[in-house]
Amino acid sequence: MSDSVIRIVSIYPSLLGTYGDGGNVLALSHRARMHGLTTEVAEISPGQAVPRHGDLYVLGGGEDTAQVAAADALRADRGLAQAISNGASLLAICAGYQLIGEEFPDATGTPSPGVGILDIRTDRLPKRAVGELLATPSPNAPAKLTEPLTGYENHAGATHLGPDALPLAQVESGVGNGDVSEGAISGRVVGTYLHGPCLARNPQLADLLLGWVLDRDLEPLVEREVEELRAERLDYVRRSGR
Amino acid sequence: MSRKLRTRVAIRAGKLASATSRIAGKGEGMVVGGRVMLKLAPDAIADLANGRVAALVSATNGKTSTTRLLANAAEQRGPVVTAATGANMTSGVVTTLAAGPPDAMAILEVDEAYLPMVTAATKPQVILLGNLSRDQLDRMNEVAMTARKWRTMLAANPDVTVVANADDPIVTFAAEQAQHVVWVGGGQVWTADSAVCPECGTLLTRDDVQWHCTGCGRKRPETTWELRWDKGAGTAVSKSGLELDLSALQLPGRFNASNATLAVAVCEQLGFDLAESVKRMCEVTAVSGRYAVVDVGATRLRLLLAKNPAGWTELIDVMPPAPAPVIVSINSNAADGRDPSWLWDVPFERLRGRTVIASGDRRRDLAVRLLHADVDHVVIADPYAPDAPLPEQARALDVIDNAATYTAFHELRTRAQREAQP
Repeated sequence: MSDSVIRIVSIYPSLLGTYGDGGNVLALSHRARMHGLTTEVAEISPGQAVPRHGDLYVLGGGEDTAQVAAADALRADRGLAQAISNGASLLAICAGYQLIGEEFPDATGTPSPGVGILDIRTDRLPKRAVGELLATPSPNAPAKLTEPLTGYENHAGATHLGPDALPLAQVESGVGNGDVSEGAISGRVVGTYLHGPCLARNPQLADLLLGWVLDRDLEPLVEREVEELRAERLDYVRRSGR
Repeated sequence: MSRKLRTRVAIRAGKLASATSRIAGKGEGMVVGGRVMLKLAPDAIADLANGRVAALVSATNGKTSTTRLLANAAEQRGPVVTAATGANMTSGVVTTLAAGPPDAMAILEVDEAYLPMVTAATKPQVILLGNLSRDQLDRMNEVAMTARKWRTMLAANPDVTVVANADDPIVTFAAEQAQHVVWVGGGQVWTADSAVCPECGTLLTRDDVQWHCTGCGRKRPETTWELRWDKGAGTAVSKSGLELDLSALQLPGRFNASNATLAVAVCEQLGFDLAESVKRMCEVTAVSGRYAVVDVGATRLRLLLAKNPAGWTELIDVMPPAPAPVIVSINSNAADGRDPSWLWDVPFERLRGRTVIASGDRRRDLAVRLLHADVDHVVIADPYAPDAPLPEQARALDVIDNAATYTAFHELRTRAQREAQP
């Protein structure tokens, strides 16, 4: 990063923004402000070049047709892959998570090529996963992630991790990747099925991403509203399941 | 007309079930009664429809209000059967058809997902398609999927006339399959669910009201009717030069003027007198409690139903300006959608400058959303209690706007009705 402004790039929010995904960008800016940091947000539309020099990229969820269109555009543009190999960070949610992998199913279930940034492959779950998702950070996840991850999932993807990707978390309640693991992490790339949006409900994850950009750990800061929501959701899921 | 014996028996059983449900205090009993009827006579809808269904109305937002406007207009021809409560799935449709005079004209609101089934069974003269946007994604189809199902339905029903909103590209995609379409420029404020062409996935190009797809050439069709909205008042304008003043509509906002314009186009297809139709639409005040002023506990409220981002985007404009506080009640029961992620798609930033009282089962989700929108807020489980810690400005208002999701809205309405009884 340069000039102490964190450059956030929201990729194709018009295509990938079905489940309140804009909230993740808001949450990053909000947490950054709490830490005394400044952010600037670039929203990229399909057809526009993806900037190569962003610090933190965000991909949201979307419907099948939009997902294929986004994957095709990102492969042709190559900017995102280049930024990641230059050390930028990436958060990819749901359809965005699937499409940064090697392949994912299109609207008809046929495998469609992904962007190839994360070593995962996605096919179909036998039954759509819809409901609260609660997961505990994996032993291999960064040490800064200590609190349970909470959110909502709504997808039909079974995601299989290759040797170059590690699970982000272990499912306590819900489906996640479909094999008791949830999400994936590789270098500074995080993919997850948690929406809701994920960073507003999981400020530790927001701070982890911001910390990567700064190459340092951020002070743990808590907000009453967020802690009350987390406590309510954790209690709800542990009491009544999904 | 003669109804099948099976249908007649089913109606009796259904009415009994409805009455039992009402006595037990479980609502109006339409759904329960309808379920019983359909169990006993699965083809009861077709039998009861019997060629008298003038119009079906479907949309993500505004279908209850539009149905009411249209039904009021249709009464110029005699009695009309229509659901007064927004019961719009097969169970509600069958109860509505069984309730009124057996040969009365029917104007029916239908849930988006149930429209193909109800169309096949009722063979309506006209179908009104208003808008499609994200709503209850945990249980409903994604938006493009619903449009594809409507396409299949219209290809299979070539005799029906469709009145469709040309400003919604997803609705246009669905309606273009019909043999007879009347296009209406009803407007579209929420465009996030029609950013890309539903056919080829290309980002749509928009220019003021026009839209087109550079991928497959699809574009906004030429309209027969348009809503002209100017300084808070609407006019329905036809291609032939007719202008109908909608400024006397009592239902507020641009979106209700749009609903009325679509309804006018249906009235024209049904051969109604259009001036008389508009006059009757202007008599509609509150629709199933929407915009009604009620007393709940210690508070006088205006009830606003706001259940998804598209609806919210339009509704913020009908609220009094800041700094007037508002109450927002968010639930996540099945009928609201279990997943309140959509709160992040609502432009709550536009409520800055006032205090929002966050209520409902998911008030904590709302509080986090408002925190991120820099909107001042207080979280109160029961803001209607006499000792509720309301901000002073809220106490000072004669009537406070209370926007609520579906089940929160109905809880408030029921509570107001109960408390109004001596």
